[in-house]
Amino acid sequence: MATLQETVNSRANTVLKGVKNFVIETGELSHFAGRFFKEALKPPFEFKELLRQCYHMGNRSLVLVGVTGFIIGLVLTLQSRPTLIEFGAVSWMPNMVGISIVREIGPVITALICAGRIASGIGAELGSMRVTEQIDAMEVSGTNPFKYLVVTRILATTLMLPLLVIFGDVIALYGSALVENLKGDVSFQLYFNTVFDALGFGDLVPASIKSFFFGFVIGLVGCYKGYYSKKGTAGVGVAANTAVVTASLLLFVVDFIAVFVSDIFYDL
Amino acid sequence: MTYNMEKIKHMAQIEKPASVSDKEKNLVIHIKDVRKSFGDNHVLNGFNLKLHEGENLVVMGKSGSGKSVMIKCLVGLMQPDSGYIEVMGQEVNTLDQGQLDALRADIGFLFQGSALYDSMTVRENLEFPMRRHKEKLGNVSDTRPLVLEALENVGLAHTMDLMPAELSGGMKRRVALARTLILKPKVILYDEPTSGLDPITAKEIIELMRSIQRKYNTSSLIITHDVDCARVISERMILLVDGINYAEGTFAQLSASTDPKVEAFFKK
Amino acid sequence: MEKTTAQNIRLGIFVIIGTLLLVTAAYLIGNRQNMFGDTFPLSAVFKNTNGLQNGNNVRFSGINVGTVSRIEMINDTTIKVHMIIEEKMSAHIKKDAVATIGSDGLVGSMLVNIVPGKGDADLVEPGDQLKSYSKIASQDMLSTLNTTNENAALLTAELLQVTESLTQGKGTLGRLLNDTIMANDLKHTITNLKYSSQEASTTLAALNNMIKNIDFEQSTAGVLLADSISGEQMRSIISNLENSSNGIEKIVGDLGVLLEDVKGGKGALRYLSQDTTMVNQLESTMLNIEMGAEKFNQNMEALKHNFLTRGYFKKLERQQKKEAKKVQ
Repeated sequence: MATLQETVNSRANTVLKGVKNFVIETGELSHFAGRFFKEALKPPFEFKELLRQCYHMGNRSLVLVGVTGFIIGLVLTLQSRPTLIEFGAVSWMPNMVGISIVREIGPVITALICAGRIASGIGAELGSMRVTEQIDAMEVSGTNPFKYLVVTRILATTLMLPLLVIFGDVIALYGSALVENLKGDVSFQLYFNTVFDALGFGDLVPASIKSFFFGFVIGLVGCYKGYYSKKGTAGVGVAANTAVVTASLLLFVVDFIAVFVSDIFYDL
Repeated sequence: MTYNMEKIKHMAQIEKPASVSDKEKNLVIHIKDVRKSFGDNHVLNGFNLKLHEGENLVVMGKSGSGKSVMIKCLVGLMQPDSGYIEVMGQEVNTLDQGQLDALRADIGFLFQGSALYDSMTVRENLEFPMRRHKEKLGNVSDTRPLVLEALENVGLAHTMDLMPAELSGGMKRRVALARTLILKPKVILYDEPTSGLDPITAKEIIELMRSIQRKYNTSSLIITHDVDCARVISERMILLVDGINYAEGTFAQLSASTDPKVEAFFKK
Repeated sequence: MEKTTAQNIRLGIFVIIGTLLLVTAAYLIGNRQNMFGDTFPLSAVFKNTNGLQNGNNVRFSGINVGTVSRIEMINDTTIKVHMIIEEKMSAHIKKDAVATIGSDGLVGSMLVNIVPGKGDADLVEPGDQLKSYSKIASQDMLSTLNTTNENAALLTAELLQVTESLTQGKGTLGRLLNDTIMANDLKHTITNLKYSSQEASTTLAALNNMIKNIDFEQSTAGVLLADSISGEQMRSIISNLENSSNGIEKIVGDLGVLLEDVKGGKGALRYLSQDTTMVNQLESTMLNIEMGAEKFNQNMEALKHNFLTRGYFKKLERQQKKEAKKVQ
């Protein structure tokens, strides 16, 4: 019996530890976010670095986002076709694909892709900078590393992700239109006409606002994990890895909240 | 209140009458009874240090003995738990960010792993410290001559447009040294300047350090566990053992010591 | 330096294209909701908006010309629907236009249809309130169909009676035609027949009118009739009904002529009994009537089984059973 109790105790301890770590992490991340806003609003501003980061996160992710979006559009259309044909509702394809891509799939897939590419990149980069004392070196050189590294990156992801989402949406819709064009004799004009007929501001606006938050989450988590990376090369790997995992998880939480909130505001 | 007290105290030191030795008068770094611990690990246990103008002081200690912590406290990268740290007449812990940055411009810091910014070229690396300290260099618009001069000092003028990844370990260290020198600091802190280098390259770096000191008449605080390095460059040495300045003296004096803890350093 | 410039140019292109795409999308969406461009307001009052929402399309003769901007409850039976219409349409919509509420496709969103009036009225002015027309709901349509059915049944029964008595043989026919009471009966039957036929005609006309309405307004039933197989069926049913009706009419005409002859006392009896051609004709006419009635019955049966109306008929059946039980 004692052994059972011990097992239960140790399990309980593990759970408690997990909960405690989770709470601590949440607190630290919130603190980090607070520091971001404080530093972001205070001069000097690192515009040049911001532009550089925007380029690296925006332009450099474009191909990846484009390819993913295109494939998602293709697959979504191909997979839905048989069912819609069965119901004799294949002419509803643009409405269905358009709304699902613009409202949910586009932002979420793009954000997840970016979490994989950007959050891990930031985590690894800042982690290695921390480990090799580059962050210390920056501070000693009179440049606030938080401003120079963290603020610029978070701002860059926050600004670039909505744009990437738009590109992803357009390319995904193009992919879907291509399938409909080849398999179903629907002209591109008719396809996009139907799509925009189906869409309303209630679809576009919450999705765009949501994308900003997605970008913020990706930048924030990546920077947080990298900036407070543990010493040693293993720390860099952990930083990159946990950045992706935490960012992806948080993206879904944010998505849930966003859908919840936009539901209230738009009453759709 | 304490701030004023310290102010008075350091003014008193500067205006000390000639009765005190010349060296006391030109104190560059003064560390008094500094303590720092990480949890239960007491790294510094009341450490004292005085660096005079134009002096080469070597602090030797085993890995993990708190040498790096000590010099990070000097430039405000870490805060000691207690104690008094004064650099060039200013108490580090009482400075605000602006004053600290101004002070840091006069302190060169050569990091253990060179800490060159991976994402920047050699030239951008060298320009980085100038970003916030343009006025110190007379508001020059063209930084190229300064960069070139600093690189020529270390014999690497041709690497100006290379990325740090393209350089060897020794070259990186020399570029890092050039970066340290670019703001013409009055005191240079070396954190393990020869670590990770082969003996020949290490010797070259040491020679470079000496020539720079002659050229710019700087004071140097060198942290190392490399006996050869200490022998060549030191004018005076402090042995850091158990978190305190265990022994002080010239290289000859210390190497002749019969104290077992001191002897341990010089045993081959 | 050149590297960063090139980067910034590319970043600029990226941002500009992205923003343009966003703005274009927003414009295209907004355009469809008439947020840009010149518009003018119109309104119409309905009893029931059938789930119409702000932003639903407004169609004029099938073209999207605007959107519903506001739905205002004035009192429990009056709902005012405000619409924004493209300015260029003000040259086409006249004051006698009628607004109805329909739906876009079988499961599509609701919309307001503006149907041009027949007259030569003045053009609408901004803020005008259009006449509205609450079109027949499917329930009403089905009850009309039921009346038609009952009439047809009555008609068929009478026709059957006539046919039966006629097919009993040539011998009876003479007696039938000699007997004044019988003649009166016949007259009465024919009057009834005429009346039935007339009623069938009106019902059919109403049905036709309804079908036209349905076609035009793209309502649920409209789409069913216009697009799907059941619609085709319905159509053929209607045309069959029409055929039957025509047949009935013809018969009535024939009988009328016969009666005239009898009335005229032109030895119609002799003529009738002697002229076998006439008798044969009458016989075949009666046969036709029978067939027509049968077909009509069939059609009604088909209508009963049509999935759109099945539910109603089942309900009716149940109700009848219930009533029957009550009577018992």
